[in-house]
Amino acid sequence: MGLFDSKPAIKAGDMVYAWTLEDQIAQKAECGGAVTGLLKYALTNKMVDAVLAVQKGQDIYDAVPTVVTDPKELVSTAGSLHCGTLLIAKVVQKFQKGSPDKKLAVTVKGCDLMALHELAKRKGVNLSNLLLIGVNCGGTVSPVKARSMIRDVYQVDPNTVHKEEIDKGQFIIEYEGGHKGISIDELEESGYGRRSNCRRCLYKVPREADLACGNWGVIGDKAGKATFVEVCSGKGADLLQKAVKSGVIATTPADPKGIEIRKKVEGAMVKLGQKWRKKDFTALKADLWNTIAGETSRCIKCYSCIENCPVCMPVAGNGTETKSLMVEQGALPPSPMFHMRRFAHISDSCVNCGQCEELCAMDIPLALFSHAIRSEADLAFDPKLGRPDYSN
Amino acid sequence: MKYVQTTCPYCGTGCSFNLVVDKGMVTGVAPYQRSPVNEGKLCPKGTYAYEFINSPDRLKKPLIKKDGKFVEASWDEALKLVAEKFKSYKPDECACLASARVSNEDNYAMMKFARGVLKTKHIDHCARLCHASTVAGLANIFGSGAMTNSIGDITESKCVFIIGSNTFECHPLIGRRVMQAKAKGAKFIYADPRYTPTGKQADLYLQFKSGTDVALLNGMMQEIIRNGWENKEFIQTRCNGFDELKKEVMKDDYSLENVSKITGVPADKIKTAAEWFAKSGASAILYSMGITQHTTGVDNVKSCGNLQMLTGNLGRPGTGVNALRGQNNVQGACDMGCLPVVYTAYQKVIDEAAQKKFADGWKFPDGIAKGENGYEVTTLMNVLTEKPGEIKCLYIMGENPMISDPDLTHVEHALKTLDFLVVQDIFLNETAEFADVVLPAACYAEKDGTQTSTERRVQMWRKAQNPPGEAKGDWEIIASIAAKMGYGAQFPWKTSEDVFNEMASLTPSYAGMTYERLNRPEALHWPCPTTDHPGTPILHTEKFGMPDGKGLMTSIPFKWPQEVPDSEYPFVLTTGRSIWQWHTGTMTRRSASLEREEPTGWVEINTEDAKKLGIADKEKVKAKTRRGEITIPARVTPDIMPGVVFIPFHYAECAANVLTINALDPVAKIPESKACAVKIEKIAEVK
Repeated sequence: MGLFDSKPAIKAGDMVYAWTLEDQIAQKAECGGAVTGLLKYALTNKMVDAVLAVQKGQDIYDAVPTVVTDPKELVSTAGSLHCGTLLIAKVVQKFQKGSPDKKLAVTVKGCDLMALHELAKRKGVNLSNLLLIGVNCGGTVSPVKARSMIRDVYQVDPNTVHKEEIDKGQFIIEYEGGHKGISIDELEESGYGRRSNCRRCLYKVPREADLACGNWGVIGDKAGKATFVEVCSGKGADLLQKAVKSGVIATTPADPKGIEIRKKVEGAMVKLGQKWRKKDFTALKADLWNTIAGETSRCIKCYSCIENCPVCMPVAGNGTETKSLMVEQGALPPSPMFHMRRFAHISDSCVNCGQCEELCAMDIPLALFSHAIRSEADLAFDPKLGRPDYSN
Repeated sequence: MKYVQTTCPYCGTGCSFNLVVDKGMVTGVAPYQRSPVNEGKLCPKGTYAYEFINSPDRLKKPLIKKDGKFVEASWDEALKLVAEKFKSYKPDECACLASARVSNEDNYAMMKFARGVLKTKHIDHCARLCHASTVAGLANIFGSGAMTNSIGDITESKCVFIIGSNTFECHPLIGRRVMQAKAKGAKFIYADPRYTPTGKQADLYLQFKSGTDVALLNGMMQEIIRNGWENKEFIQTRCNGFDELKKEVMKDDYSLENVSKITGVPADKIKTAAEWFAKSGASAILYSMGITQHTTGVDNVKSCGNLQMLTGNLGRPGTGVNALRGQNNVQGACDMGCLPVVYTAYQKVIDEAAQKKFADGWKFPDGIAKGENGYEVTTLMNVLTEKPGEIKCLYIMGENPMISDPDLTHVEHALKTLDFLVVQDIFLNETAEFADVVLPAACYAEKDGTQTSTERRVQMWRKAQNPPGEAKGDWEIIASIAAKMGYGAQFPWKTSEDVFNEMASLTPSYAGMTYERLNRPEALHWPCPTTDHPGTPILHTEKFGMPDGKGLMTSIPFKWPQEVPDSEYPFVLTTGRSIWQWHTGTMTRRSASLEREEPTGWVEINTEDAKKLGIADKEKVKAKTRRGEITIPARVTPDIMPGVVFIPFHYAECAANVLTINALDPVAKIPESKACAVKIEKIAEVK
């Protein structure tokens, strides 16, 4: 300790345990608070103009995207919220629309990152103005569903829960008077648990971010007190290096056993994702056209699947329907072509973020459809905009 | 950039969303997944609810009509003029129209202004045109005139019966709950003259003639009683009046065969509906304007209540009489006492104790309005034309009767008889054109406040941006006029929370609510009488709000609509909404994403009827009634019952209400917007 300068420079590919040296963050944050500490360093030292993070809103089920420009406020964004089902990529897009030249640091899950990459290909976001702190994600639970799960399965008043976490395959809650964990497998078999797109996700460690952070593989005396950080880019290395040098972040090389364990956890999550993928896709295969026709027959054309999709690029303000030969203006339910043309449009870029399905006013399993289409298309065809850097 | 959580300004479902605010301006809508009502999901109007907010057409300064033209004025000049004019009339020469579109605080302020400052007994609002029959009907049989259950518990239903509501288009996120119930195995019965997008999801569709609701419901009840499917225990322990009800519905008039003739529904379908409904274990009725907007509106509502009492489907999840209130805050505007017969929480103006309570609570040095019932808006329009001079001055907040009320020629005539008209709105609407003074108001995105959804859930609006120009919040404008008239002491509020707290102190069903308690995603359902009360999602669980705690079953004989088709006007005209527009279109027609989907009105006509008249799809035709005529494109479809035509009422250029009849329910004074006689004429080709 105290000899940081003599350490070799941090470079892409490095894996370290990292933790904040600021007491205020350490008290509030989980796993050593490296993410919050790094964001604060980046903001304080003008590496970015603002940080986009998620803050606890009215309760632990309420994840509020927040743009922070005052480093002092960052501490309120520490900690993770598994009931936050936001797609941060769309928030970034909105931010950059209003402030195209501002540099922004963002914490991203796998789906956010994949969405940002697809958006960038279509000039929807400018990646060079983003500093991306990736966080491992095993999946998220929709807030209202989480509350009914806690009430019905855990038999606990959801208003009394002050902490939730996903650890070792369990969804664990802490509430006034106790804590309780139930295996996610068990929850999902009974129709609760993570969103269905999350179950199918294979992108658990966001290595296309500048840093990929998480608690998997933190063992020994650092368990629970440090964050596993994989340095993924020069930008990420620069941030970590500077933060360490200035004394706000401390690091130690990751334990090789920890690295192995992290790999195993990731592997197990991916395997579980593949299991769900097989289950969902083969069920859909049985009666594909009729299923799509039946489910979309209750569409009320709310446009949520388009407005919230990171890879839908509607032609602006042309009044598409006045020109369409197949989709009539106004008509409900809309012609099947309303859905067909969207599936085609996103066929080689759907990242399975699940927003279309989660936000569908009529609960149409749209992400299942478009994810299945993309998965099959990826097997059979080369995507038009090239193979992506991520794999999902 | 920030997200500001708020609730939707359109229908009565009470969905939440985030307003995206960048550099002080609302630029978009983003989902708010934490809402227990809609879980982040929105209908198209919610998705695009930001588009009209910064429209260049927003009113930004007060306008005073000088020599027939509107001239911009300062607030001081406008308020001075309004105050002077208001002071020059006798109390009952003035009338006020409050609004189902603005907050509870705004409505409470208007109610207090009418009864305390103007001291007039005449205050009403557009609830008269939508659910007046519900308020009157359900209060009469259950002791409370509101939706009995909550939106979420519809998913627990085993049989959902929708009659007279195109739920998918008019309450889309309630439509979702119906589909969730269906996915869990519930049967879904749909009764409507139009095979709507909602109806297309039904397990059983009853296509019936507009206005024959009582016959259909009595027929179902006869079938239930004949088979012994009624809930005898519920009837015995919780209801009065079964014998009277039975005597009526067992008449031969309501045999399956006769009801089939009256309604047009095949007898076997009525039989199946009765059996499914009676035997499911948890059956819910959902209804809306199809039930209420009739001269028999109160009868229709009571019949829905009869069916639920007969089958014991009240007071439990998945059951109930679910009157789907149309507008975002129509429930709240009624709760706030913006009705000519009640103060807040339905405390009767003719009750001396209630009158004293408000007089004492408000402390006007010169008293408040007499404890007498005033005119309903529909009656008011008749008084204006029939007894010109009785009412001289009208103050309208957030309403547009020149599109929304029946028989627009009559409305225009009525408004023109006024000596002084003040319109307070966010846009210069069709009614404002007749005003002497127009006051620019803030819209939902520009103020804090509360609104009460159809399930009696009181939720917050949160200010996201400043109003444009010099526009101000409605209660602030009302308080400024009051101050100019010498009543500043009675309107001392600094924040909307101050208004709410005063209101809650006089309003038993809101008494336990505070902004702190409401500022939660679940908020609170009224009644919530004390600060430790959890609110009441389901009414009538143990007993009804009647003096003896029992529901009242009533005998309801079937009556035809006021105006039935004849050889000259051979079709029944029914009116309604489209998912893409909102009522008089002031907001949605300024929202490009919505307007481009349905940019003008249409008359829906059955394929066979169109063929007989030689009318093609999209062809412009004339629709004529005894009140007036419009030119409008035809929409030829097999989805509407032969003999019935439908026109949405949103469009000024082909306004359905030019045609509708000003015939009123005798109790609720609601107009019969759902049935009148009309003819459809082909327009002679120009050679």
